[in-house]
Amino acid sequence: MLTYIIRRILLGVLLLFGVSVIVFTLTHVVPANPVDLWAGPHATPQQLEQAYVELGLDKPIPVQFGIYMAKFLRGDWGISIVTKRPVLRDLATYLPASLELIIFGMLVGFAVGIPLGVLSAAKTGRPIDHVSRVFAIAGVALPSFWMAMLLQLALGKILRLFPLTGRVDLLAEIMNPIRRITGLYFFDALISGNFAALGDALWHIVLPGITLAMYPLGLATRMVRTTMLEVLQEDYIRTARASGVRESKVLVKYALRNALGPVLTTGALAFGYSLVSTFLIESLFAWPGLGKYAAKAIVSVDYPAITGVTLLVAAFYVILNLAVDLVQALMDPRIRLG
Amino acid sequence: MSNNKSTCILLKLCLASLLLASVLSISLVAVAAEDSQTAIYLQGSEVAGYWDPSDGYSGEIALMQNLYDTLLYYDAAESKISPRLATGCESSQDGKTWTFKLREGVKFHTGNMMDADAVKASIERTMARDKGGAFIWSSVDSIEVVDDYTVRFHLKNQAPLNLIATASYAAYIFDPAFSDHDWFIAGNDSGTGPYTVETSEGSEKVIVKKFDEYWGGWEGPHFDHVAFLTVSEASTRRLMMETGKADFCESLPPTDIDVLKSNPTLKVEINPSFINLVALYNTQKAPLDDPLVRRALSYLIPYEDTVKVSLGGYGQVSRGVVPHGLWGHSDRVETFAYSPTTAKALLAQAGYPDGGFTLVLTYPSGYDDIRTTVELWKSACAEVNITLDARAMPTSERNAIARSPDKAKRQDIYLLFWWPDYSNPDSYLGAMFRSQEKPSYGLAYYSNPVFDGLYDYAVTLPAASQEATDMMVELQNILQRDAPGLAIWDMPSRRVLSVSLKGYVDNAAYANVVFWYDCYRE
Repeated sequence: MLTYIIRRILLGVLLLFGVSVIVFTLTHVVPANPVDLWAGPHATPQQLEQAYVELGLDKPIPVQFGIYMAKFLRGDWGISIVTKRPVLRDLATYLPASLELIIFGMLVGFAVGIPLGVLSAAKTGRPIDHVSRVFAIAGVALPSFWMAMLLQLALGKILRLFPLTGRVDLLAEIMNPIRRITGLYFFDALISGNFAALGDALWHIVLPGITLAMYPLGLATRMVRTTMLEVLQEDYIRTARASGVRESKVLVKYALRNALGPVLTTGALAFGYSLVSTFLIESLFAWPGLGKYAAKAIVSVDYPAITGVTLLVAAFYVILNLAVDLVQALMDPRIRLG
Repeated sequence: MSNNKSTCILLKLCLASLLLASVLSISLVAVAAEDSQTAIYLQGSEVAGYWDPSDGYSGEIALMQNLYDTLLYYDAAESKISPRLATGCESSQDGKTWTFKLREGVKFHTGNMMDADAVKASIERTMARDKGGAFIWSSVDSIEVVDDYTVRFHLKNQAPLNLIATASYAAYIFDPAFSDHDWFIAGNDSGTGPYTVETSEGSEKVIVKKFDEYWGGWEGPHFDHVAFLTVSEASTRRLMMETGKADFCESLPPTDIDVLKSNPTLKVEINPSFINLVALYNTQKAPLDDPLVRRALSYLIPYEDTVKVSLGGYGQVSRGVVPHGLWGHSDRVETFAYSPTTAKALLAQAGYPDGGFTLVLTYPSGYDDIRTTVELWKSACAEVNITLDARAMPTSERNAIARSPDKAKRQDIYLLFWWPDYSNPDSYLGAMFRSQEKPSYGLAYYSNPVFDGLYDYAVTLPAASQEATDMMVELQNILQRDAPGLAIWDMPSRRVLSVSLKGYVDNAAYANVVFWYDCYRE
């Protein structure tokens, strides 16, 4: 097991190196020149030349990459061309907000999607099955920006049930500031005993969280339904039913447990997908997270930020996939790692 | 039976959640209504794209102008310079020495006192870093501290230093003892302004609080806190204004403005700004190397329609490249009007009676107002058989093309927004139309020794004097005849503010800035 983990980690490092080469090269060969953004509007020819040198663009791309990697390994991920701040500091600022949103969205998505999938499989062909299938397909297919605007309009503007933007109410933030420990507001507010802020943060995450939850919800519903339908045809299920085991126990204890493997795998992928879908959702909800930062970096050809974000997302993919494989091996004795 | 019970519990849970949410929202709205001391400002771009006061040259001025003071202040509506950190200034006879008298008893947010040494160190640091708008000080040769509250600038050449000292960028005075770049970018400030940073989150959210020892004092109604927020989506900004979640929005699209005008809780203010849309023709590439073709193209812009469609009727057709409201703008400047007949005649004279050529036009992506203007121009050109190949691109990408060493790769027409570095028309004429060996924004690649000579003379004249104004008119008329480029429309500022917000006065010299010290809630 340990050898397997070490091998996967080494492969992950190699993968990240490959990703960095591709991203760095692509951002440097596109016909765009970030010196304008670095030097600012109305920059003089001298300032543009100075910016060119400061950004290291006067050197060949392989040399630039070598310098970048040498600094990267020392913890210097470069300076963002947009924010003019160290990329690593920006990531530390924006990542917790996105993580909080994604974790919330994933939890809601799976908490609703899995029971819905079970219900759908148990009641195949019945109205509840049709409704859940429509719901699941809509969750996967509806564009997140449309969903976001719809929720903002209905629950934010018309019914005024939830706030439209931000992580916490600004007035509440001034009166009840959250002590920043990890950057995850729920966690920070909880351990510092700031329950007013905790409630406010919860209230703010509802709309962006639901928007983000739609994809994992739809995915989980579809996956659970499909795998459950397969598992429910197995002999041991028939035996369990014939032995008089309660239907709810058959569904949850015997069938669902064996159907969860593929759901876990897709869960890891959905996490990665959610990181990307935050690009739009965060912009619409003015959520100060990584997605919004990345979206701005991309349109500005802010290559240190683009490379930093891409490597971070890739690292998440690698780590999550490894974690899922390990959990699956623990859950299912048929799976052998190595 | 069991199913009914579950459904019942589920329904109860849903009702309880809804009730809880309603109570929460009502209580928070009540808190918001009670709190008249906090204002919320919305901006589409980063509110703190730059933290270093020496480097800033972007949308951060809305924040910075409330944290830092400049030596002097420019009132664009009155065309008047008034005191700020300096109580006054005077120039020598030759205009090459400027002496500023400083206000006494001014404290930096750091607790240190502001004096002549601090002013000298601030400007010298900005000049040494040479970032952003630092070039406004390029005429300064040396800075002399005469006494604790008198500072003297010795210039290499004549320049309107009183106007430069009012600049919205690169003219801030800060505590030199707290001027480490890393310290600034960590979200700190060391200015003398009415507000100081309380908390910040990246470049998109900054909350400032009042600085108790502000030199202006705190008598009368003022806000204790101001939150500056970046909300990039216009639809979200509009929703926030409509639901009373913000007090001021720097800009919204014309279609939103039309709707919000009838909202009784909001006030819409349309004011002139110093921003205009400029088209630069590539004067080094056929067929635009012929002034007749350039003039013909200028007659093909449906000016009135572009203002009506692109700006919702809120802007003005430009007259010359110096916008309305800024000195140097004059009715004496000749202008183009939409006239396909004149355009056809000019094209025939240039040897293109049937048009028959394609021009590549690049414009910044993400601006609906520019896109619609381009579309209207494109249709008008199509009628005389000229194809405008219009390409929306990010600035970095199109500037790479525009400054390509291979002249054949450059665009034919380059569209951009322009605004002054300080309240002076120099940059509209110099930065875009004076000869440049390596073009930065001289993307018409225009070279006219007569224009250059007159321009070099004009900038030595006292700002806004009759002679200087006459020279600006003359320079603009040269551009009108030669047509290396032209301004299409002058953009208005479209502010949306809560009706309860009082004290706001728009100042075109400080784009998008609300001087929050002057504002209060009624």
